[in-house]
Amino acid sequence: MTEPIAQQLADLLGRDTVLMPDGAGGAANTPELEKYAVDGLAPQVVVQPTDRESIARLMQWAAARQVAVLPRGGGVLSALGNRPAQVDVALDLSRYNRVLDYQPADLTVTVEPGVTLQTLSRELARGGKFVPLESPLSHRATLGGILAANASGPLRHAYGLARDWLIGISVVGADGVETKAGGKVVKNVTGYDLNKLYTGSLGTLGVIVEASFKLAPLMDEWAALAAPFPSMDAAIAAGRSLIAQVYAPQGLQVVNRPAARRLNLTADSAAGAYVLALFAGRPRAVGRRREESARLLGQSGATAVESLDGAAGQALLRQVTDLGWSDDTIPALGMRVNLPPTAVGQLVAAIVGESAGESGAELGLVADLGFGVAHLLRWPETFDQAAAGNEEPAGDAVIAGSLSEIERMQALARSMGGTVVVEHCAPAVKARIDVWGGAATEAELEIMRRIKQNFDPLGLLNPGRFMGRL
Amino acid sequence: MQRQGFIDRLKAIVGDDYVIAHPEDLLVYEYDGSVDRAMPRAVVLPASAGEVSRTLALAYQEGVPVVGRGSGTGLSGGALAPPGGIQIAFTRMNRILEVDTENRTATIEPGVINLDLDNHVRKFGMRYAPDPSSQKACSLGGNIAENAGGPHCLAYGATTNHVLALEVALEDGTMVNLGGPAREVPGYDLRGVFVGSEGTFGIATQITVRLLPLPETVKTFLGIFPDIESACSAVSAVIGHGIVPAALEMIDALSIRAVQQVTDAGYPEDAGAVLLIELEGLWEEVDEVSREVESALWETGAGEVRVAEEDRERERLWLGRKTAFGAFGAIAPNYYLVDGVVPRTRLSQVLRKVSEVSEKYGIIIANVFHAGDGNLHPCMLFDGREPGVTERAMAGAAELMEYCVAVGGTLSGEHGIGLEKKQFMPLVFTDADLAVMRRTRDAFAPANRLNPGKIFPDDDGFYQIVPQPTPPPGDTGMYV
Repeated sequence: MTEPIAQQLADLLGRDTVLMPDGAGGAANTPELEKYAVDGLAPQVVVQPTDRESIARLMQWAAARQVAVLPRGGGVLSALGNRPAQVDVALDLSRYNRVLDYQPADLTVTVEPGVTLQTLSRELARGGKFVPLESPLSHRATLGGILAANASGPLRHAYGLARDWLIGISVVGADGVETKAGGKVVKNVTGYDLNKLYTGSLGTLGVIVEASFKLAPLMDEWAALAAPFPSMDAAIAAGRSLIAQVYAPQGLQVVNRPAARRLNLTADSAAGAYVLALFAGRPRAVGRRREESARLLGQSGATAVESLDGAAGQALLRQVTDLGWSDDTIPALGMRVNLPPTAVGQLVAAIVGESAGESGAELGLVADLGFGVAHLLRWPETFDQAAAGNEEPAGDAVIAGSLSEIERMQALARSMGGTVVVEHCAPAVKARIDVWGGAATEAELEIMRRIKQNFDPLGLLNPGRFMGRL
Repeated sequence: MQRQGFIDRLKAIVGDDYVIAHPEDLLVYEYDGSVDRAMPRAVVLPASAGEVSRTLALAYQEGVPVVGRGSGTGLSGGALAPPGGIQIAFTRMNRILEVDTENRTATIEPGVINLDLDNHVRKFGMRYAPDPSSQKACSLGGNIAENAGGPHCLAYGATTNHVLALEVALEDGTMVNLGGPAREVPGYDLRGVFVGSEGTFGIATQITVRLLPLPETVKTFLGIFPDIESACSAVSAVIGHGIVPAALEMIDALSIRAVQQVTDAGYPEDAGAVLLIELEGLWEEVDEVSREVESALWETGAGEVRVAEEDRERERLWLGRKTAFGAFGAIAPNYYLVDGVVPRTRLSQVLRKVSEVSEKYGIIIANVFHAGDGNLHPCMLFDGREPGVTERAMAGAAELMEYCVAVGGTLSGEHGIGLEKKQFMPLVFTDADLAVMRRTRDAFAPANRLNPGKIFPDDDGFYQIVPQPTPPPGDTGMYV
């Protein structure tokens, strides 16, 4: 028998780089490794490099031995994706985390992948700048992870997605060779825009080792409004009217009652839904946006309009972003529905009538009316069970219920020009579906297959987790 | 015999009138806005996606390479026919198919002219933000291929940030839809990587773009500076104040004098440089920021600051910017244009280098460019009939590109690599970097039949470089 891979990697990369909890090789199934499990599958070893040469050596080693590597940042969104086909090495990039080159006057920054969004944001603020990216649990979420998972938040309406801010990227490929695309300038058509290809590819095409972003000036002021409405329909109608205004907020979410309860919104206990409007920018502009928005919401049937200043507004923004991902809000079934903005209301109308009282569970709904995305979160009443994580075997009723709900939502979304990504579900459910829902057409999926084949012919990077089990 | 057969079969797809194959008729298709030229074997003018698909399928069978062509305003040779290849020109596919005012999207055919789309959607209180200076003439299909920019990309991003969905014909004629009507689509972002692939991945036959609401307030500033150094410090001061204007453009002394000879844009002829700055947004935002912009301009040595809020006044301030390149014809009969991008703080350093290069090679260089983005457009002006001067201009351009890369920038901000910059790609990318790009292309076009010979330095192409004539004075047929 050959040496355990943990020992081989310790020899290759140095003992400090390889997590070996019991101080020796053969560390499989220790609690330390369990923390890195994906869909209940623990890696045989965890590698925690602090330089990119180690990452390149790891990938060369893995390619020679056909060992599967699962890159990861803070592990915040590790529930995302299909069940991996093979789990050997967890590549924990959270220690490879320096800010390499911050140029406030050029409005650019270059980072290693493991820096957290919170750390980066603080550093950028010192130079008066801001990267308009969002992720659940920003104190743990890394920039590499945000790119790979294409994480976003309520401000996506005003600021777009990670793809709109990434200007350059370096990647260690499945062959262990580091390559780059883009650069450090804000406008660039030199070569293909592989920034777009890597963003949202869930680490299946390469390990991100460096990323450059363009930046925005730091926002002077933050504010929010929370307006309860008697019904979801009324809230959606008001929200749609608000988002069309010239003074529209930077982010606009409509949340139903179960979701509002998780967000501790209590202004009106009888409220069927809340409109949450988030504002960022120059003080006078934020002032006018907030004032006029509050007036419009009042005229549109809000039973109250609660105004939140600065820190309170930012706290609400954080809570909305974290919903479904923070420990106490992880749902038994969580779906993200991407839609044309006007279809969000239609989707909600189609499902809201029947959501109550089904199998003792409650369906939380968070709809981004400006951008066009809805999060559907099904929390069982026996919440402790769900919080215990996805390893718990789910009951047959939960499985059958989840499967039929996913299918129904996929059909609904398809009919509206949208797509569904299942972000949380029980392992038994995941085993039976493609959580990405499938591409629009076979021709499109065929191009994706060829991309994966050309980038990672041995299928060693996050195998099986992406769309079409790539 | 075989050749005649191929042309006849093309005619059978699109109709006799819509295949151009006589050499004299093909002359206008030999050029784009760059210095290269190449004669296509034939030009096909399809009327539908089906005809595009069938044309591609036929060419694929016959081993004939294909390139799409919009309006031929490109500046990197992107739309020139590959050796032995045909062009598919989108002149007839120019319909705006749908404007969705609620979702703020428009669906169009690739031959639609950029400005026609913008003018159309303005009736509904919206706009299409990317505004290449050629927007009066350039097509959206070409904009997609090149990931076109423009002055207002500073605030709103380039074409890629505004494309939602593409219907694409692949090299063998297979049709595929990339992206979708939703802003986010799971799976690899094929639509994202397609934009800017310079016609090598596929040919777009239908395009859905995102529209933006018109701003409440627009305010334009013209800052007049004694020299280009102080104008550069004004750029840094504005950005440093935490202001990202909608547009921030610079026009140098040479260009000012050229403009004033052709039209009265009101620029003082003794000015060293002018900056055009546009602010957009809520009235409160614009009001607050405009004070900061004005003080930044005065503090950095502006001799005069003009402000316009009414459309007609604003247009007058923009007049000089928009006619500058057309005015160069009065200076010299030929031009070559560089499109390097540098970090914004390096602008004055790079402009000094431009002066040095001008002196060293004895070539006049005018500068009209997107200062806010750090996207330079040194325009080398010369008389191609003078022996050796074209070569000197090219050598000077090469030195400038190398310099841009050396200070942390890159070769092209918005015009593309195409033919004319492909030999410079190794300045920026290693063989391994380029190999990954080829792998991506091979996923879309495994046989490399679409626009072969472009982008990659060691891909051969048989193209002839000739100096491009500048347009006659006052002509606006040349755009940057």
